[in-house]
Amino acid sequence: MPLPSDINFDTLKPEEFEQYLPDLFANGSGKVSEDPRLKQFLDNHPDCAALVNDLETIAEHARSLFQVAADPSDKVWQNIQNKLQQGGLEENEGPELA
Amino acid sequence: MTQTATPAKSTPGLFKRNPPIAGEAEAIEAAKNGDPEAFSKLYTLHKRRVYTLCLRMLGNVSEAEDMTQEAFLHLFRKLGSFRGESAFSTWLHRLTVNLVLMHLRKKGLNLVSLEETINPSEEDAPKRDFGSRDPVLASSVDRVALERAVASLPPGYRMVFVLHDVEGFEHNEIATMLNCSTGNSKSQLHKARLRLRELLRENSEIALTEGEAA
Repeated sequence: MPLPSDINFDTLKPEEFEQYLPDLFANGSGKVSEDPRLKQFLDNHPDCAALVNDLETIAEHARSLFQVAADPSDKVWQNIQNKLQQGGLEENEGPELA
Repeated sequence: MTQTATPAKSTPGLFKRNPPIAGEAEAIEAAKNGDPEAFSKLYTLHKRRVYTLCLRMLGNVSEAEDMTQEAFLHLFRKLGSFRGESAFSTWLHRLTVNLVLMHLRKKGLNLVSLEETINPSEEDAPKRDFGSRDPVLASSVDRVALERAVASLPPGYRMVFVLHDVEGFEHNEIATMLNCSTGNSKSQLHKARLRLRELLRENSEIALTEGEAA
């Protein structure tokens, strides 16, 4: 649910918070735990604060997936070479590129 | 050939954070003229990135290898249309993402709109409760556990999670790629993270139980 411009963070209920959470993460820096508007709410609702911390942890760790990249097996290049030798560069169905 | 760098992003992705590679421009020009050695060089330079992206998006080694093969065959077919207006790696990234999306649509997802297809079934959807506080989640999230959890996500969730949190695309870019609304992209990402939280908590509970039994 989009975050209303006139939202009162001091009277926010946990159920409302959950609905607005995708937008809260998408807007700003993505660090909901550091949003000063939510400090009081998160202080008063430790389960919501725990949820935010967990989701931020997951998002931060996602970047570590860059660090290890895998190589395809040798058969991939062999297959590509075979296709190229068989005239595999002829046009066929594929995505259009800008 | 002059290649224009893509604008920097706050969370650059696997492709976007890589500047043009030495010798790449020459290999592209030679490959356009049909030089097989140049094809081989382009494959060597980019196979890891393409395969890793396919693996993240598909969560399956066999499919990822098939799509890597298709991506390079399409690359070699379409290379003549590469004008250097964006970085080669960005262009290749777009080609790969489009191919994977087309592949997923062909896999039985072609009878409904993409907006629907990226919504997993209710049974796959994350629970809507906050759950109890879990002080061990942060310490239990390692790369292997996260990789395993991401691989077990429903395809729609995994797609948006990989594109946003791993590759660094913005919601408006994802919406354009997936032909869905920005709000839908935000919602799918949130559900993906909630599902990952559940999977990681289950994982840490199993580890705790096994530790106690040992």
